[in-house]
Amino acid sequence: MNKERWRQVNEIFHTALEQDTWAREAYVQTATAGDPELRREVQTLLASHQNSPAFLDKPAWAVDPELALGDDGSLVGKHIGNYRIIEEIGRGGMGVVYAAEDERLRRTVAFKALPPEYTSDPGRRERLIREARAAAALSHPAIATIFYLEEINRELYIISELVRGRTLREELREGPLAPSHLLPALISIAEALVAAHERGIVHRDLKPENILRRDDGQIKVLDFGLARPTTGSQTTLLTQEGAVLGTPGYMAPEQLTPGAEIDGRTDIFAFGVIAWELATGEHPFGTDAASVISKMVEMMEGKTPGLSRALPLPGLDGIARRCMRRTPAERYPSAQALLADLRALEGSRISTPLPPRHDSFWWWQGHQIIVSILNASAPATMWAARNWAGRPVGPMLFLASLALATISVALRLNLFFASRVHPETLMEHRTRVFPAIAVVDTLLAGSLLADAVALSKNDHDAIAAIFVALAAVMLASLSLIEPATTAAARLTRSRSIK
Amino acid sequence: MTDDRQSVNSLLPVVYQELRRLAANYLRRERPGQTLQPTALVHEAYMRLMKDKPGRWQNRAHFCAIAAHSMRQILIERARARGAQKRGGARQRVTLDERLMPGGERSIDLLALDEALERLAKIDPDQARLVELRFFGGLTVEETAEAMEISPATVKRHWTVASAWLARELEGNSQA
Repeated sequence: MNKERWRQVNEIFHTALEQDTWAREAYVQTATAGDPELRREVQTLLASHQNSPAFLDKPAWAVDPELALGDDGSLVGKHIGNYRIIEEIGRGGMGVVYAAEDERLRRTVAFKALPPEYTSDPGRRERLIREARAAAALSHPAIATIFYLEEINRELYIISELVRGRTLREELREGPLAPSHLLPALISIAEALVAAHERGIVHRDLKPENILRRDDGQIKVLDFGLARPTTGSQTTLLTQEGAVLGTPGYMAPEQLTPGAEIDGRTDIFAFGVIAWELATGEHPFGTDAASVISKMVEMMEGKTPGLSRALPLPGLDGIARRCMRRTPAERYPSAQALLADLRALEGSRISTPLPPRHDSFWWWQGHQIIVSILNASAPATMWAARNWAGRPVGPMLFLASLALATISVALRLNLFFASRVHPETLMEHRTRVFPAIAVVDTLLAGSLLADAVALSKNDHDAIAAIFVALAAVMLASLSLIEPATTAAARLTRSRSIK
Repeated sequence: MTDDRQSVNSLLPVVYQELRRLAANYLRRERPGQTLQPTALVHEAYMRLMKDKPGRWQNRAHFCAIAAHSMRQILIERARARGAQKRGGARQRVTLDERLMPGGERSIDLLALDEALERLAKIDPDQARLVELRFFGGLTVEETAEAMEISPATVKRHWTVASAWLARELEGNSQA
């Protein structure tokens, strides 16, 4: 078919589509009269339009995602070399990861088949093997250990420590990390960076997807030193050292600049982004792709991206910002320096990502003061009533209540002042002290009740009733009101650790 | 053009990574939280990278065409590699009749599509380019219209006939 002919077909095709369905065939017959070939052409086109109205409506990567992923179906159940593939445990940019049994050593390992674009070019294959060797020498609790790089039937497989747990990305879906988890996680990641950078291994693609929290809480960074430029086709790229690789949003500006040098400070940039994201639950450059790109563009223009808000943790805010500086020289010079700052921050314990809400916190503080006054009133009233309760019971109970009230008031005032001076450690402090307070308060109420019994024996029923009421108020306050004000002030563990 | 290709190539991995992320999302049947469009991403980035060489990247159409073409190359090359791997060189052809699978997705033989697109380019280069932008570049009708400097209505017209033509070509292939 030539262009002229095609134009003709187009014309008739579109005019036919504009007709009502019943008139369409008649129109085609007329328009193509005397030209059976043209008629067949238009008719088949119309038929195929009707049969597949949504043909190609989805972009190519949606039509064949497995192709784009480089995954030729699952390997589950297969034997590859000495490995029996048990199940799929994850997939990402570097191919699919399976749990597999190493039949020689009888242990379960992580088994990763590298997609062909990593391995087809001999030069790159060589480099990958070299890097995997270097990465395999890494031994650190926060780094998933590489056991072997296997070459089976010309395919490359990376066999590494199997880590069961959740990625930080999965944790982030539930919001920012709990305050008690945040700094320890960041310190673990920084320690992993220190260990790797010391051996000259740069991660290059650090992101929440690549960091796992094992079921026992240990943080593990995956894929160290394996992130390498990928491409579909062009050999020009294959020969370019330091070509672009990374994930938009976590890539340092130098990763986007052809020919720029990549070193440990590239990972430090990504660390800053991750720290920010874990603390706030949101990516520092924004929640949608457009704003992430525009910040990346700002960086390429030579600016350090402006961040619209501050982190709730003042100390961490400064650390994260320094990591995310545009030029490597402005960032931390090494992971070691970064780690030192993180540890200092943890030491100073100014970590309150979840400061108690002001108004409900006030209720809790008020409660402590009121209960202190109430408790102090118990020995005072018992002193007044000591003779009516009879000797030696009255004075003895008075002394007991005085001792108990002193302890209780001291502990509660201690909590009150701690809440004003060190609110960030109040939760732990309260958790430690509260059992003692509960015991002492209960005993104090008990001594009031005992005094009431003694008073009632001596026919001072009215005063006994007051004492019973006072004891009842104390117990009710302890068991009902206190838990409520505490929960409102977010001082209970269940609220702050999710 | 050779120069441009080379520049685009150094950002190809980002496109590629993005492509895989999108693909993984579709595979998991998840709605992607944010649909980052590879073509747009690369364009934005390159506009700035190349700004010291004025004139070259001012044309979005030019750029999108190259990026979409690169995407096509990536996928076709992988499809070819997969075919070679599986059948010792024999071509894999899975063309399902979607009438047999109501609501199901029709899988497309990308290699056959690629060849058909080549044939289309001979009789109508504009339509072939349009298919490349939309199908491989993932551009919407409006974005395609902007990139090709034609009206959205014209894009739709071209798209209707070109997709019908390609669908017919691929059906013919599977029968042969």
